[in-house]
Amino acid sequence: MRIFQNTNFNFIRYRKIAYGFSVILLVAGVVSLVVKGLNYGIDFRGGSEVVIRFEKNVDVGEVRSVLDAAGVSGTLKQYGMDRSFLFSTVFQGDTGQLKSLVSNALNDRIKGNGHEIVRIDAVGPSIASDLKWSAVKALIAALIAILIYVGIRFETKFAAAGVIAILHDVLTVLGLFSILGGIFAFMPLEMDQSIIAAFLTIAGYSITDTVVVYDRIRERIRGQKPSEYERIFNESMNQTLSRTIITSGTTLLSVLVLFIFAGPAIRGFAFAVFSGILIGTYSSIFVAAPLVYDWLRLTKSSVRLRGSKVS
Amino acid sequence: MKNKSFNLFLIAVVTLVAAWSLWPTWRDYSLSKQLSSFASAQDSLKYMLSHREEIEDARKKSLKLGLDLRGGMHLVMEVDQVDLFEQKAWNKDGKFTAIMQNVRKNVAQSDARVIDLLVAEFKRENIRLSRYFYDIRNTDQEIIAKLEKESEDALTRAKEIIRNRIDQYGVAEPVITTQGSRKIIIELPGVSDENRVRNLLKGTAKLEFRLLREPEVMVRTLDRINTYLLQSNSGVVAAKDAPLPDSTAAVTLPVDVSKTSPPLAPVVSVPTPAPASKQQSAKPLYDVIGVFQNGTAFTAEHTKEYVLSLLHRSDIQALLPPDSELLLAAKPDTGNSGEKLYSIYLVKKSPELTGGVITEAKATFGSEGVQPEVLMTMNTEGTSKWARITGANIGKRIAIVLDGAVYSAPVVQSKIPNGNSVINGIESLEEAKDLEIVLKAGALPAPVRIIEERTVGPSLGADYIRAGMQSIIWGFTAVAIFMILYYRKAGIAADVAVVLNILIVLSVLAGFNASLSLPGIAGIVLTMGMAVDANVLIYERIREELAEGKSVITAVTQGYDRAFSSILDSHVTTLSAAFLLYTYGIGPIQGFAVTLLIGTSASLFTAIVVTREIFHILLTKNLMSDKSFG
Repeated sequence: MRIFQNTNFNFIRYRKIAYGFSVILLVAGVVSLVVKGLNYGIDFRGGSEVVIRFEKNVDVGEVRSVLDAAGVSGTLKQYGMDRSFLFSTVFQGDTGQLKSLVSNALNDRIKGNGHEIVRIDAVGPSIASDLKWSAVKALIAALIAILIYVGIRFETKFAAAGVIAILHDVLTVLGLFSILGGIFAFMPLEMDQSIIAAFLTIAGYSITDTVVVYDRIRERIRGQKPSEYERIFNESMNQTLSRTIITSGTTLLSVLVLFIFAGPAIRGFAFAVFSGILIGTYSSIFVAAPLVYDWLRLTKSSVRLRGSKVS
Repeated sequence: MKNKSFNLFLIAVVTLVAAWSLWPTWRDYSLSKQLSSFASAQDSLKYMLSHREEIEDARKKSLKLGLDLRGGMHLVMEVDQVDLFEQKAWNKDGKFTAIMQNVRKNVAQSDARVIDLLVAEFKRENIRLSRYFYDIRNTDQEIIAKLEKESEDALTRAKEIIRNRIDQYGVAEPVITTQGSRKIIIELPGVSDENRVRNLLKGTAKLEFRLLREPEVMVRTLDRINTYLLQSNSGVVAAKDAPLPDSTAAVTLPVDVSKTSPPLAPVVSVPTPAPASKQQSAKPLYDVIGVFQNGTAFTAEHTKEYVLSLLHRSDIQALLPPDSELLLAAKPDTGNSGEKLYSIYLVKKSPELTGGVITEAKATFGSEGVQPEVLMTMNTEGTSKWARITGANIGKRIAIVLDGAVYSAPVVQSKIPNGNSVINGIESLEEAKDLEIVLKAGALPAPVRIIEERTVGPSLGADYIRAGMQSIIWGFTAVAIFMILYYRKAGIAADVAVVLNILIVLSVLAGFNASLSLPGIAGIVLTMGMAVDANVLIYERIREELAEGKSVITAVTQGYDRAFSSILDSHVTTLSAAFLLYTYGIGPIQGFAVTLLIGTSASLFTAIVVTREIFHILLTKNLMSDKSFG
């Protein structure tokens, strides 16, 4: 079977349209981040969460009113599992007290429908800010590491464009989280530790696709005149189009499986990685390589690439 | 091409090592299946006894499941360094208390290290550290170094003591580690009684024997506080810094106003607790406590928090006699009409004796055989001191104080020469047992607080396992079918490589005693999708070479060689991202990073070396054609 074999798209000519599309994506994301902000999970804002599972179906309003009546303040939402609810409240040093409070209220007032508290998480505010910081540090370190590595293996312009593409991907996914956050009951899209893992995975994976395209350009650009660059860039991208899409495709498949089967705890992560890989594939073709092309064109320089091929 | 036989050998070795490392996991699984298959419990027990060694060995070496999969408790505790530094200071005065209060406030709001905040606060006040810490001749630098050493030691000691407590309580395979300068991470798989564990962990277990002040002193002191509070209410002293008793508790139990404690017979003044809303202004003391004629005082359960907050106020503490402190009872007594009353004690601030002298503790039932208590034995030094103290204070009361709460305050009847003492006023034997554990393990150098807690119940864990297994099975099926559809014969080779890859990931986890968590499973599923990427790159390259009219053998050789540089580049970037995730990530995220790291590294081997060997064998047997790559 073959898909995208012997294509001949003129990516470079239509790059401005792609730039426009990317700018719209990014602006929409940033506007939403400023206006609506992000839906922080307890990892980053601190707080306590209780997941309650009932034996039989019960209305969320009923559970809410029972907890309200018992004087337990907090918000109750449907959780992405059968007959389960997520109750979140401010940080409790003593989760035992919270547990018995919730448990007693539900036992007293919802008769004939047993419940089980299947999970309790409590994160103090100081830990939350620690987590936030280490997340930011990890992302910055990853970007720097990739910048250096690609800079050594290829060239500074390639590395910089690659990192811009990563930032583009991460920002877009962040924007998506802001825009879609809280809209879907089965997928609240809260920012928590797993989303940071998703961002780093996206960063690592986004550059993977980009490197495949770069690699082909490097192979073909050697000793060519700058006037030939447009043709070489286009041909390289067309030649690698198939593998760029297939590699992303297999990973998308496995992430889709995670999204469907791995349960609510992983769903936000799977969504982030899924959209990140989609955006990353797009950006390695329409953002990273075209940026390098424009950069070369504007500075009128020819490339001196490192990492020559053996054969 | 020259190292063909070496490559084959390598593949065989890796496969064998992986199988060997996973063998106990398989044994453990089949043995427990066998055990549960017996009809009667007796048979199963017999089987267990006869195969005990094998079962235990398999269990020890098998792949561990993470807390989220098997259920359990993950706790992060923080050592209170401010308290530790306070302990280390001497000639503490009002100025010092004020500084430390500021430090405490800053610590709560900032991520900076406690020692830095402390130094900054002292600098702002323009006071040298040596005024309160260590020797007056020390420079600030020396003192900072000493305090840092002190807090490091405290963390290590706290960890050891917590480990002792957990070991004594009996949790299978606890993991206790320290993180940074003040955090202790505790992982307790399969804990059923979380409340008990929590209580066991968080108490400092600071045991003190303290002399009670005379009853008359007590009554006079309470009078003084009451008058002061009355004045401050009428506006003489601004009471706006009075702590709000309810502001910290978010889940507020509704205060039942109707259940106010009725007056007891010999009461001087009657406690009439006001409604909860009024608690926010400083109420006069006699509104919330009652005093007996004989000088004992008490407060009702619902006013306890408020009284405690009063006792912590520095302006109230200033009204106490020198070297004195007001403490509450650990357990309530039951009043005439069944309400719960906590006694209040005025004790000397400096203890006569501390828990350091305790060598042995034993939970038992008291002389009447119903009341649980803890018997304690002291070392020689403690014994002689205890004899002297009891001898000198016959007829007086000595309070037994644990973590700032009074357990009992017996009247000394006679001199105690044998170093024995008893804690009573304990509700249950279980609690007595826990006290025994904490007393034996020793006191923590400073209070610890739970700052993060994640508990997963066993039923959710089972759900997670099911979800994880489904993800792995479906993930593999989807990727495997796609590869075969798209690349035909070559796709099968890639699928074989993926299977070996998963085996390697699991065996490395089992071999290094790391545990598999739900994020770890997510990492495996993701790895499956990424591991075939290398094959895709190679196969696409081979297709290109084939399209140029090269022979299969040349195309395969050149395909592998030419795809290598982009495979390497993409793997290095993924690996560095995973490595950073592991370095900065905490807990569950590390589990994901680890499987991604192992999986991606292993795929360099499986996707390149293994598939190439498969092709080599197929080529020499003439089983490959230019159709084999789809």
